[in-house]
Amino acid sequence: MTTTSPTPQTVQLHRALYMQQAIKEAAETFADFASFKIRRDGAYYAVDISDIDADTDGDVVAEFCNFALHHTIQRKKKRL
Amino acid sequence: MAESAKSATAKAEAKGDTAIETLDAAQHRVTLSLEIGLYPIDVVYGAAYVFLDRCYVLLDKQEGGAKGTSRYLVHLRAKGPLSAEQLGAMSGEFSNELLSQALRRKIVKANQKIIEEITTQAIAGAAGGTLPSDFLDSGDDGMDFLDDPLGIAVPWEDKFKKKKDGEGADQ
Repeated sequence: MTTTSPTPQTVQLHRALYMQQAIKEAAETFADFASFKIRRDGAYYAVDISDIDADTDGDVVAEFCNFALHHTIQRKKKRL
Repeated sequence: MAESAKSATAKAEAKGDTAIETLDAAQHRVTLSLEIGLYPIDVVYGAAYVFLDRCYVLLDKQEGGAKGTSRYLVHLRAKGPLSAEQLGAMSGEFSNELLSQALRRKIVKANQKIIEEITTQAIAGAAGGTLPSDFLDSGDDGMDFLDDPLGIAVPWEDKFKKKKDGEGADQ
């Protein structure tokens, strides 16, 4: 897991476990705190996170991952 | 990773179905390794959902690991500082939640037919009942609101007087 830092970071989210729409939704939620670029990288979605707001309390990257997982679970539940 | 953090990292060999893969007290994180065949993804999602407010959760999948079996890796990182014991307890709670979710899933599956039957009966019962719209029937019966076919609005004295006059005439 990544830690918050002003330097760009890349998070790898497994495509079998995270939905692309959910990742996009999480990226939109955190658009005010960082810039997100989502791309496919083998079995993973690689999310390049840059321009992370250093003044923000908490770990933006980790919170983003939590949101992506939350949205994925919500979407999977709706599908059932 | 710093040397101190490395020393704090404890690696445990996976024993049984659920195991702490790594525990890093310096970074307040713990990684669990779950065998895919034993824990369906719904169960892992369910347990992860419960822990989202307590810690940072990152899921990963390990295809054909050292043991040749695919595994889910669950990375948990505390939102605040936690000791190694507290991290161990948190991973234990996560394992308990996995079992709880698995049991819930099993019960729902076992009772699926009963649940569906009860729901169907409830919907059918609700559909057959009286609806509020039934009372809003505006069918016109051709009567004015002043019409009094049953003589309800006739004063009691008028009715009584007439009868008494009639009776008196008979006598």
